[in-house]
Amino acid sequence: MPKIYLYFRLFLIFVSGMENKQKEFSKLIKDNQGLIIKVSRLYTHSLEDQEDLFQEIVLQLWKSYDSFQGNSKISTWMYRVALNTAITLFRKKTKQPQTDELQDFHSRNFLEDSDEKQQQISLLYKVIKLLPDVERAIVMMYLDDEPYKEIADTLGITEVNARVKMNRLKKTLKELMIKHA
Amino acid sequence: MPNSEDFNIDALKKTWQDQVISDGYNQDEIEVMLNKKSRNYVKYILWISIAEFIIFGVINFLTIFSSDFHTDFTNILNKLQIRNQSEVEFSLDRIYNGMKILSLIITGVFVTVFYINYKKIDVESNLKKFIIHIIKFKKTVNLFIFSNVFLLVLFIGSLISLLTITIRKQNIHVDNPTFWSLIIAVILSLLISVILILLYYKLAYGILLRRLSKNLEQLEKIDSEKTMI
Repeated sequence: MPKIYLYFRLFLIFVSGMENKQKEFSKLIKDNQGLIIKVSRLYTHSLEDQEDLFQEIVLQLWKSYDSFQGNSKISTWMYRVALNTAITLFRKKTKQPQTDELQDFHSRNFLEDSDEKQQQISLLYKVIKLLPDVERAIVMMYLDDEPYKEIADTLGITEVNARVKMNRLKKTLKELMIKHA
Repeated sequence: MPNSEDFNIDALKKTWQDQVISDGYNQDEIEVMLNKKSRNYVKYILWISIAEFIIFGVINFLTIFSSDFHTDFTNILNKLQIRNQSEVEFSLDRIYNGMKILSLIITGVFVTVFYINYKKIDVESNLKKFIIHIIKFKKTVNLFIFSNVFLLVLFIGSLISLLTITIRKQNIHVDNPTFWSLIIAVILSLLISVILILLYYKLAYGILLRRLSKNLEQLEKIDSEKTMI
C-alpha cells in the first residue's frame, strides 16, 4: 500500500510540474508574441495560414523549450525556431498569389496608433513579402534592431555577407516602395 | 507610403518596433495550442520515408527470401533438362545467401543512418544547417531505395546469367519460345519498374525538396556574392 501511495505522490508531482512548466511557457510566449506574429504575418498570405503558422511556431518552441532553458537569449531562440518553422517546416494551405495580386491583409493582432503609421506598416509588410524567404528574414531582423552577428548566426551566413546583403536590400526596398506606394 | 521618394528604411525601424498588439493571444489560448497536432513538413517527409522504407524493404525481402522463387527456378532447370543440377543448385544457393546477407546489411545500415540523420534535425540550429540536415535525411531514404533497386537488378541479373551460362556450357538447345519470352518479359518488366521508380523519385523528390533547395541556394548565393565584389 505505501508503495502505491508513493507512486501516486510522484505522479502528482510530475503532473503539477508539467502544469507549472506549461504555465511558465505560455506566459513567456504571451509576453513575446509580437515576434511570432510578425513572422507569421510575413510568411503567409491568408489569415487562416497566419494563425496556423503562429500555432506551429508555438508548438516547435514548446518542443525545444527544455533544451532552451537558460542556454541562450530568448530572442535568439525564438528567431531561430520561428524562422526555421516559417521558411522550412510550415506547409501553407493558401498558395502565394501572383506579384500583382499580392497584398498584405490586415492582421487582427496589430493595431497601429495612427492612420499614417498604419499605412506605413501595411506597405512595409506588403513590400517585404515580395522578397524571397531568406531576404525577408534579414529585413525583419534588421528592422527589429538585431545585430548583424545575430542575423548571420540565425541564418548560417557570414556577418560581412549579412551586412552587404542588407545594404543591397535597402536599395531594393526603396525601389519596391516607390513602385507599390 | 506617402513620401516614398525619400524613403529610408532606418526611419521606419521605430514604427516597426512600436507595432502594438491589440488582440493578442492570452495564456489560456496558448496552452490550448500546446495540445494541438503539429502539421509540419519534416513530419510529412518522415511518414512518407517510413512508408517507402517498408514498401521497398518488403518487396526486396519477399523476392530474395521467398522459397517459392527458389523452387520456381529449380523447376525451370528441370524443364530445361540441365545436367549436374547439384552444381548449379550450389551456385544458386550461393547467390541466394549472398543476396540475403547483403540485403540485411544494407537495411541495417540504412535504418541506423536514417535514425541518426533524423535526430540531427534540430529546429534550434541555424537555417542553413537546418535545411542541409533535412535534405540529408531525405537523401538517406532515396539512397536506400536506389540500393534496393540495384540489389533486385543484381539478383535477377545473376539468376539469368547463371541460367544462360549453364545452358551455353552444356550446349543445350533451347528452342522453347515460351522460355525466351519469359526471360525477355522478366528483363522488360525489370526495366519498366526501374524507370517508373526513377520517375517517381524525380517527381516526388522535386516537389518535396524544391522549396528547401531554393532557400539553400539563396543562402549560398548571399555567401558567394561577397566574393565577387
